[in-house]
Amino acid sequence: MALVFQTLITGLAIGGIYSLMAVGYSLIFSILNFSNFAFGMIIMLASFIGYFAMSTGYVNLGVALFLAMAGAGALSFFNERIAYSSLRKRHAPPLYFMISAMGTSIFLENMVYATIGSQYKAYPQVFKVPTISIFGASLGKMDLFAIIFSIVAIWFLNYFIQRTRTGISIRAASYDAAIAEINGVNLGAVIGLVFVLAGFFAGISGIFLGVKYMAYPNMGWITNKAYVAAVIGGLGSLPGAVTGGIILGVLESFVSVYISSTLRDVFSFGALIAFLVIKPSGLFGKYLEEKV
Amino acid sequence: MKKGKRLVAVLLLTLLLVTLAACGGGTAGGAASGGGASSGGTGAAEPIKIGHEVALTGGSALWGQAEKNALDMAIEKINADGGVLGRPLQLIAYDNKAEQAEGVNVANRLVNDGVIAVIGPAQSGVAIAAAAVFEEAGVIAIGTTTTNEKLTVPEGQDEALRYIFRSCFIDPYQGDVAATFALQDLGVTKAGILKDVGSDYSTYLAMYFSETFTGGGGTIVADESFRTDELEYKAQLSKIKDAGAEVLFIPTMQKEAGLAMKQAKELGMDCYFLGGDAWASDELVELGGDATEGGFFVNIASLADPVLKDWVDEYTAKWGRAPVMPNPPLAVDGLYAVVAAIEATGTTDTAILADWIANCKDVQVLTGKLTMDPQTHNPLGKPAVIETVQNGEFVFYKGIAAAID
Repeated sequence: MALVFQTLITGLAIGGIYSLMAVGYSLIFSILNFSNFAFGMIIMLASFIGYFAMSTGYVNLGVALFLAMAGAGALSFFNERIAYSSLRKRHAPPLYFMISAMGTSIFLENMVYATIGSQYKAYPQVFKVPTISIFGASLGKMDLFAIIFSIVAIWFLNYFIQRTRTGISIRAASYDAAIAEINGVNLGAVIGLVFVLAGFFAGISGIFLGVKYMAYPNMGWITNKAYVAAVIGGLGSLPGAVTGGIILGVLESFVSVYISSTLRDVFSFGALIAFLVIKPSGLFGKYLEEKV
Repeated sequence: MKKGKRLVAVLLLTLLLVTLAACGGGTAGGAASGGGASSGGTGAAEPIKIGHEVALTGGSALWGQAEKNALDMAIEKINADGGVLGRPLQLIAYDNKAEQAEGVNVANRLVNDGVIAVIGPAQSGVAIAAAAVFEEAGVIAIGTTTTNEKLTVPEGQDEALRYIFRSCFIDPYQGDVAATFALQDLGVTKAGILKDVGSDYSTYLAMYFSETFTGGGGTIVADESFRTDELEYKAQLSKIKDAGAEVLFIPTMQKEAGLAMKQAKELGMDCYFLGGDAWASDELVELGGDATEGGFFVNIASLADPVLKDWVDEYTAKWGRAPVMPNPPLAVDGLYAVVAAIEATGTTDTAILADWIANCKDVQVLTGKLTMDPQTHNPLGKPAVIETVQNGEFVFYKGIAAAID
């Protein structure tokens, strides 16, 4: 029984981070209709920002979070302005965006290899006693903090998008960019804002991944899982991204323990294929044409 | 507008060419650093050229530089004592950056320079790529820390390549050593394994560990795996904990091992941790923190090994810092094997030398006595060392040979 509970907690902790990343992915997908593969690299860079900030010894977790969010927000914004905006203005097909995103991603990764190096950077320890025990299962304090912080951040994002005027223009643009523009939405500004918001989530994910594991140049691969989570939940849907992340984390954890740890990724990516074949719109997807 | 674009294109092209030229210059500069110890006062006798395939830049440069220092020191001594067959030795070192493609380039250059034997490369992957060149040219190559079996006996072949050797033990042997140590020294009978299924190194170590451990009366209570680059092991670890493992064998790279120990401790596991030579990097402690304290791992050679004491002192006195283990002594072992072969056979004909090395028995080298297995070109019964983490430092625990070769 303790093992079941422990497995569930482990799954929720990793699922929480998948959710955060999937939210960032989905935000961009919802408005530009392509998978921004450079997103993983923004997360990686955010993780390094957090590492360098915290290893000075003067910066606590809260300030590091703020710095990483600000840094990643800016990086994400410039990522769009430099790599995508000219494509957008020429109405290039999504494939071109994806190629540009891959180029950006490879460029950024190699920049880090060339400047920072390939070493793994371990964050300083945040909590003296890192775990608490609940019903015989151990839960990392950092995991608990990450889950709570993620819930709050996602709630704020949801509030912003559902309730504010700017939020409405984002939703309008994601529904039909051309019509929204005709109706007076400043598309360039809205897209810039969406990238900044996605960058904030990259910043949060980067810090949490860094504290939980470490910062290193090819950590961006982990966003593959976020992509799977986003597809399960429905690309472009925020509740979908959250649910997909949690489902994937818990699924992986249970497969590892009760079936086989070797088969974990077979199940994760099997789920991706199954969803694409059977329900391409995912659990919460609203529209499915031209989505993949 | 058009004109502007063309200008940009021209500028970019120029930049590219300049960069290429700069890179080319860099490589040439790096290569020029070769030939540390050249003919030293033994008259007009033509030197015997020994190549060194080594990473002098990049992530493995720390070990590569130490290898070169050790070889320079050894060759200086040999030449001061009158050289080999009255001829001085000349070391030609080229930087392979620990990259496979560069390893092949360096191999071709060394063959072109007329070396009779090569020390290195230190990485199994690079060595396997370069081996084809050496084998075809008939140049002896002795890998230093190339623990992958397939280097000397390629996949699908029964016999070893004629000119390819290694001076270290092979991966599976470490699995045997670890299992022997767990059974005899730790006195445990229930083991859990956490391995990387994406790595041959890891899966082979795990396989041989299991065989020796169960053969010696132990049980593998949980055999769990993850894929390379995966960082989350708590699911696997909680299963291993649940199965009641007394020792956790983690035959992975330092990154995964450090994280796994950290996560195991977070789950409240208090068993022994055991690993292979890939643990031997400061990053293990950096990433694993306090959790690595008291962990044991098999290593190829240790600074604290009493056999090496005099050599370590000499090296430290000459270069101002201790050698970066485990590469340097293994490079010197390879060099001594070649020197012994030349002295015993009185020739520099590589075919004769290669056959002599393949069949050599109890040849005195730096780390002890070298006996080569003629079938596999692996040293036999090479002693391993067990190191442990104490206050964040790697400390020599004991020298050990596996129960089974």
